[in-house]
Amino acid sequence: MEQNKTLLNLENVWKIYKMGEVEVPALKGITVTIKKGDFIAIVGASGSGKSTMMNLIGCLDIPSKGRILLKDRDISQLNESDLASFRGKTIGFIFQQYNLIPTMSAFENVMLPLEFQEIDDKIASKRSMDILRFVGLEDKIDYLPTQLSGGQQQRVSIARCLATDPEIILADEPTGALDSVTGKNIIEMLYKFWEDEGKTIIMVTHDQNLAKYAHTIIELKDGEIIKTQNNQVN
Amino acid sequence: MKIYKCLKIAINMVTHSKLRSWLTIIGIVIGVASVIALVSIGNGMEAGINDELSGLGGNIITITPGYSKASGMGMPGHGPSSGSESVSESDAILGRNDVQALKSIPELAYIDTNIKGNAYVYYFGKSAQLTVTGVDQSVWSYVTTLEILEGRLLDPADQNVVVIGYDLSRNYFDEPIGINKILTIEEKSFKVVGILDEGSGMSSNGLSIYMPLQSAYQVLDDKTKNEYDSITVIAKDSADIDSVVAKIEKKLDIVRHVNTIDDKDYTVISMKQILEQISSVTGMITLFLGFVAGISLLVGAVGIANTMFTAVLEKTKEIGIMKAIGARNRDIMLIFLFNSGLVGIIGGIIGVFFGIVASYLLGGGLMSTPRGDSIETVVSLEIVVLALFISVVVGISAGMIPAYQGSKLKPVDALRYE
Ligand SMILES: Nc1ncnc2c1ncn2[C@@H]1O[C@H](COP(=O)(O)OP(=O)(O)O)[C@@H](O)[C@H]1O
Ligand SMILES: [Mg+2]
Repeated sequence: MEQNKTLLNLENVWKIYKMGEVEVPALKGITVTIKKGDFIAIVGASGSGKSTMMNLIGCLDIPSKGRILLKDRDISQLNESDLASFRGKTIGFIFQQYNLIPTMSAFENVMLPLEFQEIDDKIASKRSMDILRFVGLEDKIDYLPTQLSGGQQQRVSIARCLATDPEIILADEPTGALDSVTGKNIIEMLYKFWEDEGKTIIMVTHDQNLAKYAHTIIELKDGEIIKTQNNQVN
Repeated sequence: MKIYKCLKIAINMVTHSKLRSWLTIIGIVIGVASVIALVSIGNGMEAGINDELSGLGGNIITITPGYSKASGMGMPGHGPSSGSESVSESDAILGRNDVQALKSIPELAYIDTNIKGNAYVYYFGKSAQLTVTGVDQSVWSYVTTLEILEGRLLDPADQNVVVIGYDLSRNYFDEPIGINKILTIEEKSFKVVGILDEGSGMSSNGLSIYMPLQSAYQVLDDKTKNEYDSITVIAKDSADIDSVVAKIEKKLDIVRHVNTIDDKDYTVISMKQILEQISSVTGMITLFLGFVAGISLLVGAVGIANTMFTAVLEKTKEIGIMKAIGARNRDIMLIFLFNSGLVGIIGGIIGVFFGIVASYLLGGGLMSTPRGDSIETVVSLEIVVLALFISVVVGISAGMIPAYQGSKLKPVDALRYE
């Protein structure tokens, strides 16, 4: 596994939201380098800019100032449609609110990103089945999100994220809506995946216990990085 | 994303918002159904006219004295339409010379000379002024489109007999008039030999009285022998009506010394021309009905647009999710276009079904002519295909702007939407 290869560069990134006349700086000059195989936890108080940073890393938004280089490509230079397919292939999202499509079954939800990538149906459905088995939901594939518990929904969303075999997994408070036991299960699932597959994971969390799984912890305050701490991986 | 996958997602969206989809579909159903039903009435009217054309024989040509330059619609036997420049009937007459000229035209099969006027009719102590038509009984039965209900038409040997209209026989006088009853017309006695069918013929009047020409000259004493109010001729089946009409005009121009249009003092009109004129009127009616129905289709389209705007708003978060997991703008656009197109085509199919049902019901006697016949309705394949095509186009174009808006949403903003 070629570690140490730079995957993502944030160079003096600013994000300023305009609320009418008022300008809200959510990020103030963030500079981070993320290497392949990193497991990073972003911590900080509510409103400190964690989600804003995740959205920028995930190419869901573009910075007001500064540059973001994803695999040496400046994301501000890509057009909508290139950005969308680049994002689809490179990045997998896990959201706090699961964000499943409510009218689609677990299986269909997992299939969806593969369908956007126009992957052959046979391959895609085998892949989806395998991943759903990995997250322990092989007997729930035809359930709609509303028929699943929160933990099960989050596992579907993890399956959807992993289905495309993304290089970077972005998880914004993935356990925020779950009880601590379920939350721990979810994190361990991610951790196992990180260990086995050598994926890059960036996770936002409030929970210090969960942050411990990461080997780098970045702490944000008022849009600035106030601490970067390297964990001895246990 | 492959196009059929976008369609699949669109179908998923339509089936998961059933109530709203159906309400929108109803709008299109009403529009399409009314287009089909109303246009089928129009088409039915045209088909009915064409039916009458073959029934009446388009090969009937009527010559009347007088001429109007603004010659519009005219009915056989009613004289020319009363335009400002018409030559009054008392100036112009049709006579033996005209008949001779007509006889020299080989394409003509029969020539029936008619006079028409009002006379007092007595029956069972009551009297009334009615229209009496004198016909050449030797050819009348070949020329007329009237149909007999009881008795018979006039025979060449007949004298002092009449054929009367249905209404006159049934309920005009206190007593019904049956076959072999005697009517007194201007102090002469006539035996009823035939009663016409109700509503037979195109211009039939239920109160008409038909009698041999020679008897009519006696009854209508202001008429001069060998002068006619109209001449009805029948062209041979093989003949081209328009050229026969031209030939008749050429011959009559010669015998009547007509050199310019200003001299013209007679009118030749064929049933074919009349039916063509009626056809063009019914064509316009069909167009108008279609237009009216089209407006309701437009209202349906506005309904689709409205629903799609709502759907895009409601699906904002899902659009954000899809974009986050790799949907391109084009994919989102297609999904919503398919959604609105589906609503259009489903509405179209159901609308065609109800339109056909409605047109059968209308044709089945819910609607009828003043004469009591039911109006035939005709649903043509063309209108069905057209209606389906239009409903898809309407659906897709109504979804265009909402779909575009949805596709342009920024992923972050869409994901934040609750
Ligand atoms: N779309 C937005 N428009 C305006 N202000 C925003 C928007 N998103 C976030 N903010 C503001 O930016 C700051 C950082 O927000 P966020 O990144 O969501 O924080 P966190 O995820 O750490 O709680 C907050 O003050 C928040 O109110
Ligand atoms: Mg947040």
